[in-house]
Amino acid sequence: METLAHILNGFAVCLQPINLWYTFVGVFLGTVIGVLPGIGPSAGIALLIPVTYGMNPTSALIMMAGIFYGARYGGSTTAILINTPGEASSVMTALDGYQMAKKGRAGAALAISALASFIAGTLGVIGLTIFAVPLTSLALKFGPAEYFTLMLFAMTAVSSLAGRSPAKAMISTVLGLMISTIGIDLQSGQPRYTMGIPELQDGVGFIIAVVGLFAIAEVFYTMEEMTKGVRPEIIRLRGSVWLTRQEWNRSLMPMMRGGVIGFVIGVLPGAGGTIAAILSYVWEKRLSKHPEQFGQGAIEGVAGPEAANNSDTAGAMVPLLTLGIPGGGATAVMMGAFIMYGIQPGPLLFQNRPDLVWGLIDSMYIGNIMLLILNLPLIGLFVRLLYIPGGILMALIMAISAIGIYAINGNLVELYIGLAFGVLGYVFRKVDIPVAPMVLSLVLGGMMEQSFRQAMTISGGNPAIFVGSTICVTLVLLSVLSVALPFILPRLKAWREGAAQEKA
Amino acid sequence: MTDRVIFACAVAVAAVYLYATTLIPSLEIGDPLGPKAFPRLLGVCLLIAAGLLFVETWKERGRGEPLAERPAARDYRHLWVVAAVVAWTAAYYAAFEKLGYVLATAVYLFALMAWFNRGRWLANVLTSLLFSALSYALFLRLDVNLPKGVLPF
Repeated sequence: METLAHILNGFAVCLQPINLWYTFVGVFLGTVIGVLPGIGPSAGIALLIPVTYGMNPTSALIMMAGIFYGARYGGSTTAILINTPGEASSVMTALDGYQMAKKGRAGAALAISALASFIAGTLGVIGLTIFAVPLTSLALKFGPAEYFTLMLFAMTAVSSLAGRSPAKAMISTVLGLMISTIGIDLQSGQPRYTMGIPELQDGVGFIIAVVGLFAIAEVFYTMEEMTKGVRPEIIRLRGSVWLTRQEWNRSLMPMMRGGVIGFVIGVLPGAGGTIAAILSYVWEKRLSKHPEQFGQGAIEGVAGPEAANNSDTAGAMVPLLTLGIPGGGATAVMMGAFIMYGIQPGPLLFQNRPDLVWGLIDSMYIGNIMLLILNLPLIGLFVRLLYIPGGILMALIMAISAIGIYAINGNLVELYIGLAFGVLGYVFRKVDIPVAPMVLSLVLGGMMEQSFRQAMTISGGNPAIFVGSTICVTLVLLSVLSVALPFILPRLKAWREGAAQEKA
Repeated sequence: MTDRVIFACAVAVAAVYLYATTLIPSLEIGDPLGPKAFPRLLGVCLLIAAGLLFVETWKERGRGEPLAERPAARDYRHLWVVAAVVAWTAAYYAAFEKLGYVLATAVYLFALMAWFNRGRWLANVLTSLLFSALSYALFLRLDVNLPKGVLPF
């Protein structure tokens, strides 16, 4: 009953004119960032953090969440019209969406992706509202050992799912943890790995690293592509953005299924929107009576994945808000924003600041409605963004990154650190090492070490504490499983195929 | 090939990191682990990750890289462009406080656009000037102080 009052009060918070305005700004910027290839929600949120320093945290977080889920709406537009996903998670939308556009059904593809995004996005927020409270009561039982093993699971899950090579993702994770140990050790006061640079005493700024790894690195990569002379063709949007009755009927079930897949994948650490979209696509193709149409412009192939990657955002907010542990790159950046405002997300936040938590969650209902309006009747305006020359856009992103980093402390050295992370992110991309695991471990590294040491202090230095409770054992087993799975699965498959061949 | 380089780099980083860990002075009172234990664990983890990568590369070795990915004459021009952008950005940061935000940004943007958005002089000049001036004014209002530099306002 108390929860219901909090939920209703959340609406009172998010319906305040100032918060409505920031919801709008957030989802608007999110759509813009989504439409523009080359800049994603993680970079967008990170660039905004320094600017929102003086704002009321509730409004600022509402705006940043708006960017996170808004970008998923915008990403599909680019996928459909120029066959390039505006966001990584709309990569599956490009397959059939672009084919529909080539056949003159661009309007229908855009309409169904906006509708699927809205329906699944709203379903996802309902799921978030329902599951938040039970999970927080579980999380309240967590001690340092449980938190340590939970973070371990988040990191191993991201490592094994983030890229093609789990070993490379693991290298990325451990490097991130190593970077997070730079600076003065909180317990002993000893400086570690500062190499005599005073700016490193407080550690490497998370926001600086994220701006470098996402925004600056992406600009370098895009500039290289531009030099190679790859220029996609933009399909002009003709006719109305709407769909036929038959197209709607074909899309309804895929949307529902995609919404469920996306939410579940979102709650689990590691996988994220791209994998949710891929799973939904594969599932729809398997269920379809005419799988041969997939890849040729099947509307189910747009509806399912678009639903999945939108309910994923609401799902991803579940572990961030209830446990205080993000499960992927973008939520890790959101966590960085929380921390900057001195707010620790987690179960206690639901008790201490129900207005903030529920204001944020409820704003996502409103934001999804705004996004539907922005992405259906007004989509034509956003399509024009695609005509901005890449050379101008990339240059501006570089200047905005410089403002974003400089605004934090007004320190020149931090600009160079950001540039170094930009080069690192570019090199990682070239050699196929995922950066999301590094971002996650950068934001969790400090907490992870603290909970590790607290647990060890409690147990008097006995590591058995990490298998001392059912929760710990479960999480440790899950971690081991997620590391081992990528190595076992191919063997199991080969073994089964071998067995099948022997039988035949 | 790339994977072998990554393997070597990871091992090298782990070695340097573990060595640097031994340099941390520590008085281990009250805290059974001290500031070195967690880093030591990380060093070992990186070695394990490098080992896993080695196993992955080892398993892939038979397949070899497809020939299509290895063009006979490699074109390195685009890499030089990226290197030049990095150097130009570093120069921009160096001028950021000395020249001031507006001037440094306008020059920086204009040069980038002149290269990557070639031939559209008017658009490039206008965008770089307007963006620098307007963003300066906007952030001034948001209480974000960007360096004023040599300009009087």
